[in-house]
Amino acid sequence: MRVEYINPFVEAAYSIMTEVLQTEVERKDLYLKKTTQPVMGVAALVGLAGDVEGRVLIDMSQDTAIKIASTMNGEELTSLDELAKATITELANMITAQAVTKLFDLGFKFDLTPPSIITGDNMSVSNANVEALIVPLEMPQGLVEINVAIRERA
Amino acid sequence: MKTTSDFPSINERAPEGQNNGGAAFKVLVVDDSMFVTKQIGQILSSEGFEVVATAADGLEGVEKYKELYPHVDLVTMDITMPRMDGVSALKKIIEFDKDAKVVMISALGKQDLVKKALLIGAKNYIVKPLDRKKVLERVVSVLK
Amino acid sequence: MKHVSLKETKNLKDQTRIDFKMVTFSLAGKDYGIDIMKVKEISKAANFTFVPNAAPFVKGVYNLRGDIISVIDMRVFFNLEAEKAEDNTENMIILRLDSHVLSIIVDSIDKVIGISSESIQPPHPLFGDINIKYISGVVENDGRLYVILDVERILGDDEQGDGRAVEQRPAPSISSAAPFNARESTVSTTASAVKEDVDIGFIEETLITFLSFYSSPVNQDWIRSRFTAWKKQKGEDVQLANEQDAEAYLSPFPSPFSGSYWNSDFAEKVASFLPEDHAGNFYVWNPGCESGYESYSVACLIKNRLPNIHLRIIAHDNDLIRISTAPGLVVNQASLGNLYDDFLTEGSRGKQFKKEIKDAILFEYHDITHDNTLPKLDMVVMRDTVSYIAPDRQQHIFNTLEEVMKPGGLLILGAHEQPINPGAWEKVDNSGVVAYKKK
Repeated sequence: MRVEYINPFVEAAYSIMTEVLQTEVERKDLYLKKTTQPVMGVAALVGLAGDVEGRVLIDMSQDTAIKIASTMNGEELTSLDELAKATITELANMITAQAVTKLFDLGFKFDLTPPSIITGDNMSVSNANVEALIVPLEMPQGLVEINVAIRERA
Repeated sequence: MKTTSDFPSINERAPEGQNNGGAAFKVLVVDDSMFVTKQIGQILSSEGFEVVATAADGLEGVEKYKELYPHVDLVTMDITMPRMDGVSALKKIIEFDKDAKVVMISALGKQDLVKKALLIGAKNYIVKPLDRKKVLERVVSVLK
Repeated sequence: MKHVSLKETKNLKDQTRIDFKMVTFSLAGKDYGIDIMKVKEISKAANFTFVPNAAPFVKGVYNLRGDIISVIDMRVFFNLEAEKAEDNTENMIILRLDSHVLSIIVDSIDKVIGISSESIQPPHPLFGDINIKYISGVVENDGRLYVILDVERILGDDEQGDGRAVEQRPAPSISSAAPFNARESTVSTTASAVKEDVDIGFIEETLITFLSFYSSPVNQDWIRSRFTAWKKQKGEDVQLANEQDAEAYLSPFPSPFSGSYWNSDFAEKVASFLPEDHAGNFYVWNPGCESGYESYSVACLIKNRLPNIHLRIIAHDNDLIRISTAPGLVVNQASLGNLYDDFLTEGSRGKQFKKEIKDAILFEYHDITHDNTLPKLDMVVMRDTVSYIAPDRQQHIFNTLEEVMKPGGLLILGAHEQPINPGAWEKVDNSGVVAYKKK
C-alpha cells in the first residue's frame, strides 16, 4: 500500500474509535496480511474508488460488535440485531470517510461507496491479488482490526 | 450516543425545536443508516423537534419532501447513500423548492464536497461523528 | 542490503527467544539433539582403528588431526539396532566435554536447530528408548520430537559408579597406530570434503536463524568462497555461535552503496547498460528499497540518460519505518555529484528532489512474497533482497520476473548474487559492475 495512505487510515481509525467510544484505545503494530479475508466473525465493508480501487473492512468478533454497538447507542444490546449491525456499519463508514477526507487534503482523490456488513464463520471476501494493511486497535470491548486493501490505478 | 445534560437555567428556556408559536419544527431525516437516523432523531426530539418522516436513500428523500411539502421545515441529508446520493437529492429538492432548508450531515468532510453542497443550496454542513451540541447549534441557526 | 533484525526473526518464530541450539541426529529411527556448545565438529569417517579388549560400545580410536580420541558407538551404548552405513563411512559427532574430547557414531546427522530453552520439557520415560537419566529434556520443533541427550552425564568423567562410564583409555603406542597413519590420507580427503559441506550447511542454518539470510543458487557461490576466507581467519572453530558471528560472516556481502546514494561512477556504469534512447513509458520495479536511497539514485541515473521518457519506479519494502521516510527523503550532503545536482532543489529542510523525480517514484509498504500485479517492466533493481527470502519464494520471484519483464529488460542484483535461472539471462559487465539482460 502506498506509504502516504497509511497515516490517514491509522489516524482516522484511532480518532473515530476514541471519540465515539469515549475510552482508551490501544494502537498495536501495523502489519501486512496476504489477503483481505476478515477473520473474527463480523465485518463491515466500505468500497473505495477514484485514484485507487479497493476496500476498507472493519473486523471484530460478534461479542465485541455487540459491546461496541451498546456503547454507541447508550443502551445495553443483547444480540447483533438490525440496530447493532447498522451501528457497526456506520463505524466503518466514519473511519473510511475521515481517512478519505485526510487523503483529499494530501492531494489524493478517493471516493467511497455505501457500506455493507457481513457476519458468519467462514466469510469470504474476494480479494484477487491485493494484500491488506492491518491496523489493530485494542479497547475494553475487545480487538478491532481495520483491514485496508488498496490498489493503485495504473 | 449519550446525550449530555443541559445546565439548569434560571429562566424557563423554550426548547429550540419549537417555533415562536410553540409548535414543533418538522424535520425530514434522510440517511441510509438506521443508527444515524435514530441518533439524529434522539438529539432533535429531545429539544422539541418533530421528526415527521425518514428516508433511506436520496430518491425516497426527494419523494417524501414533495409529498409532505410544505409541512417540512428542515431536511437533514446524508451524502453517501445507495440509489441516489445526498448531493443529487439536494439538487432535486432545491429545484422543487428553492427555499428548502437542507442541512448536510456526512462522515465525509472534503472541502470540495462541502463547497459544492453549499453552492447548490444547502444551508449548512455537519461532519460526523455527531455531537449533540454541534447538531443543535447548526440546525437552530438555519431555522432562525 | 535488506537486513532483518533479530526482533523480526523472533516474531517469525512465534515471539520466542532462541537461546539454545542443538545438533540433531537420529538413532534407530528416533530424533535426538545435543547442545551445540558441546559439539566440536562433525565428521564422516571412513574407518578408524579398531581397539581390542575395549568395552563393546567403544568402536575404536580416531586420529583427529594428531589427537587420538575414542570413538563411541551410541547405538551399541544404548542397545539399539545399528544401521549399517552403505560405504562403511560412519556419521560422527565430535564432542568437547568438560574433561576430554571424544567422538560418537550415530545413524545420520540432520541439522542445527535453534529453539527457546523455555520450550524444553522434562523427560518422560515414554519418550526415549534409553535410560531417562541420560536425557536432559525433550523438545518439539517443526512437527518433530527431539530427545536432548545429556552427554556429560552419559560420557563424562564423573559417572564413576556406573559401569557404563567411558574409561579414559591410554592412547595406543605409536607402533600400533602405524596402520592408522597409512590410511590417514584417504580418510582426511574424503572426510574433509564432506566435512566442509556439512560445516557450510551448519553455517547456512545459523544465517537463517539469526539473520533470515537464505542460502540458495542466488548466493551459494559467494557463501562458499566466503567460507574459505572465514576458515583461514577462524581456524578450526568455524561454526557461528551467535548473532555477532553470523553478522561477521555476512559482513562482506552487502552491495556497494547499500543504504546510501550511488556515487556518480557506479551510477554511470549501471546507466551504460540502458538503451541509448527510449520513447514513452519506462517501468522499474525496486523491491527492498528500504529508506529510498537506491530508488532516488536509479531515478536520477535513468532520467539523466533518457530525459524524455515517462519514468515510473515502483519501490517496495516491508519495513514500515524505513519506507515511511522515503517519500520525504532529504539530501544533506554538500554535493552528490553532477548526476544528482540537476535534479535537486533547495528546500526549507535541506535539498530535496525535484517534482519530476518525486512524481516518478511510488513507494509502497508491501511484502513481495504476497501477490502483486506489476506492469510490463523495463528494469528491475533488486539488490540484496532475494537473499533474505525463503528459497521457494525466491523461485516464485524469478518466475514473476520471467513473466513480467520485457525482453532485453535489465536486472540489477546484489554484487554477490546471481539469478536462480541463469539460462534466461545474458550477463553484462562494465568494469566489474554486473547486470543481467532478459533474453
